[in-house]
Amino acid sequence: LCCGYWDMAALIRGLRAGRVLRGLGSVAVQGTLSPQGSNVRRAFHRTILLQLVNDSKSDTSVPPPSYHEVHTAGESSSSSAHGESSEDAQPNTSFQDQSGEHGEDYETEEQLQARILTTALEFVPQHGWTVEAIAAGAETLGLSSASTGMFNNGAGDLVLHFVTQCNAQLAETLAEQNNKVQLGQAESKKTAEFLRDAVETRLRMLIPYIDTWPQAMSILLLPHSIPDSLKHLSTMVDDIWYYAGDRSTDVNWYTRRAALTGIYNTTELVMVQDSSPDFEETWAFLDNRIKDVVNMANTAKEVQATGESMVQGLMGAAITLKNITGMNQRR
Amino acid sequence: MLHRMMRVDHAGEYGANRIYAGQMAVLGRTQISPLIQEMWDQEKQHLRKFNEILAENRVRPTLLLPLWNIAGFALGAGSALLGKEGAMACTVAVEESISEHYNSQIRTLMEKDPEKYTELLQLIKEFRDDEMEHHDQLIIEILVFALPFYVLLTHDPSLLQVPGYQLMKAIIQVGCKAAIYISERL
Repeated sequence: LCCGYWDMAALIRGLRAGRVLRGLGSVAVQGTLSPQGSNVRRAFHRTILLQLVNDSKSDTSVPPPSYHEVHTAGESSSSSAHGESSEDAQPNTSFQDQSGEHGEDYETEEQLQARILTTALEFVPQHGWTVEAIAAGAETLGLSSASTGMFNNGAGDLVLHFVTQCNAQLAETLAEQNNKVQLGQAESKKTAEFLRDAVETRLRMLIPYIDTWPQAMSILLLPHSIPDSLKHLSTMVDDIWYYAGDRSTDVNWYTRRAALTGIYNTTELVMVQDSSPDFEETWAFLDNRIKDVVNMANTAKEVQATGESMVQGLMGAAITLKNITGMNQRR
Repeated sequence: MLHRMMRVDHAGEYGANRIYAGQMAVLGRTQISPLIQEMWDQEKQHLRKFNEILAENRVRPTLLLPLWNIAGFALGAGSALLGKEGAMACTVAVEESISEHYNSQIRTLMEKDPEKYTELLQLIKEFRDDEMEHHDQLIIEILVFALPFYVLLTHDPSLLQVPGYQLMKAIIQVGCKAAIYISERL
């Protein structure tokens, strides 16, 4: 296929690290997507991720290493080695592209993809969450509509991009609020209220796309997209709880996040079929669900306290019995 | 990688806590109890420190904490039912496994980037030294006070000569390795 463009040294290193197989898979996919017009020169950009040669077992999500070779048609070729930032990045193992050019004001492939997808969002109300929307977005930027070939998952990539954007916005908002509280400029909210506001903020970001959102939800449930969508969901829920002040390190960590995930998902479902003005019914539903969870937590605490006092009572009775029968001597 | 290390260390200290709790539940009224209590208090301090670290770094705790809760308590209580020598021998084996685990973590961090991880390295070294201290204390306790006649007979100050200890040690070490492997991932 495109063996001639590959850096053989990089390939050998990749083989040693044992992860080139994933790269081969994605290149094979790239190779089979044929451009539509003969005047389109496919962009090839060599992106070699540091994780390939790094044995780190980072917990941060690592996109599968892919040998994309992209030089943009008609644009200056951006050929810097692009390393995914991770806490384990070792500069001395980073690869430089053969042509030796570093990215100064050149865009990386990821940035280009992000730009296209952001522009494509404007066309979603018109085309839905489809490859057509991406093509329309690409054309607006002056690129050929065949650059949709860059996106392996098509509509899935668009939806995931949107979700990532919303989550980043939410995290920013929560961080700002947190700052204000730290500086004493704002009151800290009670947990229930905080959760309610955070979920409402996040769900309001869907309002511009609410008509097509059921389509997006079903795309997120496709087997292809599930790992990514679950990861984004869990990161978002973790962010919300972190800023709500949760610092638990036991089973509560899991129960709280599971509860909030349930609340978020059900409220989202209510929202897509809510026709009340400004989604009042959705927020009322959200209120009730959060009340439920708070009630359950309180009940659990009460049950535990009751259980403990019962156990203490029984122990007292047992010790009294032992004393009476004389069994309670020190060995 | 860092998150995995912190997660498994947290799980380890949690388990060690439960082991001592189990031992105290059985042997709490015997001569050996002050020693076990003292070691337990140190483990509690370790656990508190790891709770802080997990919260600071937003690390997910292992899902199997309830399992380690029960398993640790059962191991502690079970070994204590074999008598105070059994409890001490169990602790010796566990501490040896933990020290080895900390040592391998120290090696990994030193290989990666000693400057970047100085704080964490210092902490792990300190905890490893504590665990080794427990280990050595208990070896002396067993060989000199509990089973001196073995040492006198064989002139061999190794715990492995005691019948049954090798089996117990093997089981405990395999268990610890499995627990470490699972807790890193789950």
